[in-house]
Amino acid sequence: MPYDTSLNFVFWSPTKIVFGENTALDVAIEVENLKCKKALVVTDRELAKNTDIPERIKKVLGNLCVGIFSDVEADSGIHIVNQGAKLGKELGADCIVSVGGGSAIDTAKGMAILLKEGGKLQDYVGFQILTRPQTPHIVIPTTAGTGSEVTYIAVIKDHEEGRKLLFGDYNILPNVAILDPKMTEGLPPRLTAATGMDAMCHAIEALHSLQKEPIADGMALHAIKLIKEFLPRAVQNGKDMLARGQMLIAANMAGAAFSNAQLGMVHALAHTVGAKFKVHHGLANSILLPPCLKYNADACGDVYLDVLSTLGVNIKRIRPEEAGSAVAEKIIEFTKKLGLPQRLREVGVPEEGLKECSELALSDGAIVYNPKFISESTEVLKIYQQAW
Amino acid sequence: MALSFPSIEWVEEFKKQINSSEGYKKAGATWTAGVVALVTSAKPEIGIKEDVGIWLDLHQGVCRDAKIVTAEDAQKAPFCITGDYARWKQVIKKELEPVKGMMQGKLKLKGDLPTIVRFVKASQELVECTTRIETKFLDE
Repeated sequence: MPYDTSLNFVFWSPTKIVFGENTALDVAIEVENLKCKKALVVTDRELAKNTDIPERIKKVLGNLCVGIFSDVEADSGIHIVNQGAKLGKELGADCIVSVGGGSAIDTAKGMAILLKEGGKLQDYVGFQILTRPQTPHIVIPTTAGTGSEVTYIAVIKDHEEGRKLLFGDYNILPNVAILDPKMTEGLPPRLTAATGMDAMCHAIEALHSLQKEPIADGMALHAIKLIKEFLPRAVQNGKDMLARGQMLIAANMAGAAFSNAQLGMVHALAHTVGAKFKVHHGLANSILLPPCLKYNADACGDVYLDVLSTLGVNIKRIRPEEAGSAVAEKIIEFTKKLGLPQRLREVGVPEEGLKECSELALSDGAIVYNPKFISESTEVLKIYQQAW
Repeated sequence: MALSFPSIEWVEEFKKQINSSEGYKKAGATWTAGVVALVTSAKPEIGIKEDVGIWLDLHQGVCRDAKIVTAEDAQKAPFCITGDYARWKQVIKKELEPVKGMMQGKLKLKGDLPTIVRFVKASQELVECTTRIETKFLDE
């Protein structure tokens, strides 16, 4: 994977990682390490309703916990962030412990801004405009996929305006991520598979991104290796703690990789069908990855050879220009074994919706870093049609 | 004659270059999202005593107005991009791609990134326009 003398990059990943079974029990220590005394637990409704995880975290925090905010829902919105921040202010919270998947973590990132800066969340839409560290934030992921515990991005929906607001700032990177395999133990097989494929897409997209760089490459390739080996095991047996743990590590490494190297068209297309037709993000990525790999095949064959090799394929007789298709076939084989759907039509996307999606996808930030420049919606439409 | 960056003369030349650019005219033809302000942070040692804003009123492939404004006024634009002198110099010299700069924290964007992304080609054409200006950098 050669680089030339034009290589220049910034790698920024300051989040402290704590890994191990039952490390969630150390959350109080981490709160104290941050010199905080009043933690607000932020979690989503489903987790609060169907598990005792948020209550367990509250119990472990003891006197350090001022309350639980459990109104987060999928596609979290400004109104939810505002409600959470209002509660946090009333309770005098000086740090946030988010427990959940991407929505809970992103909501907490938005709350961290409002608790520190005040004002309206809309005032902070943009990139790198915050000038100081925000409210301390500890993340305990309950899925292994988003990597949001180590990314500087938060996506929060403005439901009134019907659009997603993007916040990108090194100052919203969580301070601590506690990766406790026990926290993902109860995740159902299909969600385990879909979130795991989200991590796989993060890793592959970080590798083919125009902003790829060696540190992120190393993390992404190792993430792929772990996902290949441990995702099927975690899907087959949710109580396989080794597999659960390795998947948390893989998702975390892929998250750090893409937070620095950025993503590409798979995510641009997946975000759009997700927003329009509520397709689970991991599933959308999983379905769209193969046709996007084929589209990009002539632009980054060497990268895809590395991916193939990491997936355990003997690449001696594969030419670079064939590698994209070969990875695509390998991914299809892998996701079939995981029992995931293969077509957009199987996950509720109507054929007549593809045209609008193909136009909207061109406005997604991820598309800027795709290895092949894409500016025509007709090209995007062809890829959607292949995936449909 | 080389024009100092930033200066009123440089900004006027920038407007001329934008309006004579076929590339920008095409790439920015559907831009209706409003003013883009570019703010250079103060650097007293080279003569920039306070933050300087460049106000670009861009609309459908045309630059309707370009002027120097205060940083405070620049913040009122729907899109405000802020950077140190050295970063803007890198942009003008095509050593730093603006969207990449925003992602990496080298430039700060106040505003909606997806809108900028939709017009990434137009932003590249604007950078092309700056390269056609004979620029005198104050730190050289």
